[in-house]
Amino acid sequence: MMSMIERTIYANTQKIKDPTLRGLAESAARLVLENWAYLLFVIVLWRFPYIVADLTDTEVQPRRPTGDSVFWQSEMARALALTCLAMSYNLLFGFSGVISFGHALFFGAGGYVTFIVLNEYDASYQQGALIVVIGITLILALFSRMNVRQLLIIALIGVLLTLLLMPGEGTLSFYQAIGLAVVASIAVSLISGVVTLRLRGIYFAMFTLALAEMFWVLAKSGTFRDITGAEDGLGFRDILPESFNPTPTFDGSRLDMYRLTVVFFVIVFIAIRRYLNSPVGRVMIAIRENEERARTIGYNTFYYKVLTMTFAGVIATLSGLLFVIWATDKRVHPEALSLKYTVDPLLNSLIGGIGTLTGPVIATLGLSLGETYLRNETFTLDTGLFGILTVWQLAVVLVVGLVWWLFRRPLQTGLRRVVDMVRRDTARAATFASGTHGHWALILGYYGLVVLLLLAVGLVIGSEIAHNLEFKGDVYNVSDLWELFLGILFVVVVMALPHGIVGTWNTFWANRRVRRLEQSAQQSAPKGNNSAS
Amino acid sequence: MLTYFANLSPQHRRSWGLVVAYVALLLAVSYVDFGYNTAGQTAFRGILLGMLVFMVASGLSLIFGLLDVLNFAQGAFLLIGAYVGYDVYTSLDAGTTVRFLAAIVSGVVFVGVLGAIMETGLIRPLYDRPVFQIVLTFGLAAVLLDLVERYYGPDPKQPLDPPGFLDNNFTLFDQSLSYYRLFIIFLGLTMMVGVFLLLNRTRIGIIIRAGVQDSEMVQALGINVRLIFTLVFVLGAALAALGGIALVPYQGATLEMGNQFLILAIVVIVIGGMGSYEGTAIASIVVGLTRAVAEQLSLEHFDAPVLAETSILLLMIVVLLVQPSGLFGREE
Amino acid sequence: MTDYILEVQNIHTFIGEFHILEGVTVQVPPGSITVLLGRNGAGKTTTLRSIIGLTPPRSGQIIFKGEVIQGRRAYHIARMGIGYVPENRIIFRDLTVAQNLQIAERQKGDLDRKADFIFTLFPDLKRLYTLPGGNLSGGQQQMLAVARALVPDNDLLLIDEPSEGLAPVIIEQMMEAIRQLSSHTTVLLVEQNFQVASRLAERYVIIEEGLSVHAGLIADLVQDRDLIKTYLGVA
Repeated sequence: MMSMIERTIYANTQKIKDPTLRGLAESAARLVLENWAYLLFVIVLWRFPYIVADLTDTEVQPRRPTGDSVFWQSEMARALALTCLAMSYNLLFGFSGVISFGHALFFGAGGYVTFIVLNEYDASYQQGALIVVIGITLILALFSRMNVRQLLIIALIGVLLTLLLMPGEGTLSFYQAIGLAVVASIAVSLISGVVTLRLRGIYFAMFTLALAEMFWVLAKSGTFRDITGAEDGLGFRDILPESFNPTPTFDGSRLDMYRLTVVFFVIVFIAIRRYLNSPVGRVMIAIRENEERARTIGYNTFYYKVLTMTFAGVIATLSGLLFVIWATDKRVHPEALSLKYTVDPLLNSLIGGIGTLTGPVIATLGLSLGETYLRNETFTLDTGLFGILTVWQLAVVLVVGLVWWLFRRPLQTGLRRVVDMVRRDTARAATFASGTHGHWALILGYYGLVVLLLLAVGLVIGSEIAHNLEFKGDVYNVSDLWELFLGILFVVVVMALPHGIVGTWNTFWANRRVRRLEQSAQQSAPKGNNSAS
Repeated sequence: MLTYFANLSPQHRRSWGLVVAYVALLLAVSYVDFGYNTAGQTAFRGILLGMLVFMVASGLSLIFGLLDVLNFAQGAFLLIGAYVGYDVYTSLDAGTTVRFLAAIVSGVVFVGVLGAIMETGLIRPLYDRPVFQIVLTFGLAAVLLDLVERYYGPDPKQPLDPPGFLDNNFTLFDQSLSYYRLFIIFLGLTMMVGVFLLLNRTRIGIIIRAGVQDSEMVQALGINVRLIFTLVFVLGAALAALGGIALVPYQGATLEMGNQFLILAIVVIVIGGMGSYEGTAIASIVVGLTRAVAEQLSLEHFDAPVLAETSILLLMIVVLLVQPSGLFGREE
Repeated sequence: MTDYILEVQNIHTFIGEFHILEGVTVQVPPGSITVLLGRNGAGKTTTLRSIIGLTPPRSGQIIFKGEVIQGRRAYHIARMGIGYVPENRIIFRDLTVAQNLQIAERQKGDLDRKADFIFTLFPDLKRLYTLPGGNLSGGQQQMLAVARALVPDNDLLLIDEPSEGLAPVIIEQMMEAIRQLSSHTTVLLVEQNFQVASRLAERYVIIEEGLSVHAGLIADLVQDRDLIKTYLGVA
């Protein structure tokens, strides 16, 4: 049976005579037809500055005062950088089952290593090359079957060649510094992987958390102000290559930088997708499902886990760098190493759907752009929402719902007892208690009644409290309460929607398809029996 | 005590040897490097820190042992305990001693109730999804930290005067110290012994230790294990809160201290062996001493006390490489 | 209405996504020893775990002493008077023998009342009373596991593979003990060793691939060579 896509391709490519051309046309058509949603999304992203410009009647290029299009370009670029971070986290946690609580380390490393190499340390080619040699040796140590002596010889040759061939002076360029940042993140992945990945997953989570926190404290402390700039962080306004300088120099380069960001995002997305569909990625998913079994089959699960972790670390490093480029002050701050940038990607992956490709993208873009959009909104407790409820009424409804939902187990037991009691009493008189339908109707009725009752009581008490409280007239900023909102969203998703938005959506459709298939199988089954007999 | 040493397994006996040798080495290094008085002061600071870390780590270890949940919110419990304690301590209108006791009671009760709600409402439904339990406690830690910041503001709170009956100084190793520091050590030791007695002498303690090994079997014996789970979670949270309140007159209250102590506690249970009570107690002191000595060393030689942060991590890496199940943990 | 102390009616149990029990019916008359027979992985252990509530069945009914017990929490079911001796002799290794027994008390003084009875059944335990459970030999651990189920007043004992991995002498001792205690309570046994099972039990239920396929008196089963060969693979 051919799918609709295959049929369409087949029908339209038959006319082409030349087999090579036909093959090309077929694969191109398949690419477009199977990925039309992604392609559409990329086109929208690419045109995004112009779309916003048209909608808001502003300029794409920065002019003073900065227009909406320019503002949203930066916001979108920053959101894309965070999306790449979330995707890398999802690759690690969602697809390989490795829980890392120190992902911020890689994110922050992007900015810090690049800048330390560039402006503070003034590293020469020679020093940079030495670090690369060390990195290559580390990789070989892990992924090849060489013994210590062979490794030492290779390292020695590398060092000698570097010293002989590389000029001793001259500083590294921007791109070379980025290369060093990538090497650094690979080294960190390898070291922490080797130390902990052989142990139970929980050790890895603890180790990475401790590691990232340590670097955060080091970056923040005043002791190394010369190197890290302490709380002020490191900046690099002048170091970025002319062609990619997104600072408002009022030339065309800003838009180029935006396009570069989109390209980076697309490459990361395709790379992750490609990786997951490769044999290595398949093994990775097998490890997530059952590591013991994967090991029994003969896969070196440790190798695959370290490989994935390195891959995710490199992506996070690059997105960290991208994030700094788009930061308003063009500086990397210690905050980039803080828990925030571990929690955020974790949260976004969870909300979007852990272990899905598009989930982190949707969640990150939605949440970060949503935050920007609502940033300047204010409200008071009496602000009306949707014309029905006010904010405090909504809060009361949510709290009652949350309480009900958190303690539904004990409440359910109590309810069932009440239902049983009522059922026993009504069993003689009422007719509907004889069937199971009556039972469910009763339970549903009671549930509804209890919820309504709780809501009513909650509204009355809530209104009393709200009226008596002093802060009723206070004006709140949406951005102040955003983190709290995220926290509540996080808890709700973890508890109620473990597959996130995309995962739940996929499961729903998959279940529907299975039901349809079952139904059609049931319909066709009797026929088959008849024909057989 | 003697029977304890007589019944030690060879692995644990070796671990004891290692610990004693390591502590002796630390003390020797600090004596040679800093001289008698400074070394003494450093050791005292280390023990003090160890006691505080123990209050977070023992809860972490107990909860992990019985519930198999690594509670990353343990640091947040310490933080909330400290801030609530600070609030009560500064806002009440009474003598310092009364205020201090009120702060302890209110902070511990508040965090205990919070822990009970968290365990019954959030963690209990997730026992069949352990990965999400870890993620949940980790996320909750961030949420709770954010709530504290929102409610009490981002500025650190200054250390408060210790309660009246401890507001005197004594001299130790040529340094004038508040009795309050002795009180923290006393409190830590009391907790150590108290929890030890609870685990070994009471029926609940026996149930907890049995549940650490096989909670399903305990349930099949007719014991409501889930209730015990909640109790242990509350106990762990309360211990952390107590540590937080004890910190207030000593260091004040900052938003960072929750994670700071969580990291230390994590290192402690990795070194001591996850779920092992004696391991947690011993490792607490080891980590406290290491931290204090490293701080003093880096201060004297590099003028950079931050470097002490790395010593803890190095210790953890070494233990993970040498003895992955921790010094007093069970071999897996 | 019923003469059975325990009635398991057509239970279906899932472990994760796996349908382990696909309709098991077991009837246990009071005061008897009933044995569950069947091949490895047939679902005998899961049947016991479903009864005690550790793997609650999704459908079907379990009636103990006239009360429906499925769906209740395991500790609740145990308190109604069911003692469970798991396979692989799960005792608490860090606790002493005394503590292993104390933990099974449901009311204060249970152990004091039952101590004499337990020590007459298993004299070894008296000698080992203060040792940690982990230091005991396999047979001693099995004795402790059975003894633990005897501490409270149980009307039904679920014993899973009491002879597994034990020396023949110990098996004899264990069988003798089970025979003695069956004069006090009812026993539902899982046993791989057909020799042991046939000498100990009065009634049997055969479970095959999650389905109870045969039940009756063990005296009849011993005669029926074909049945034994079909389901148990021993002649």
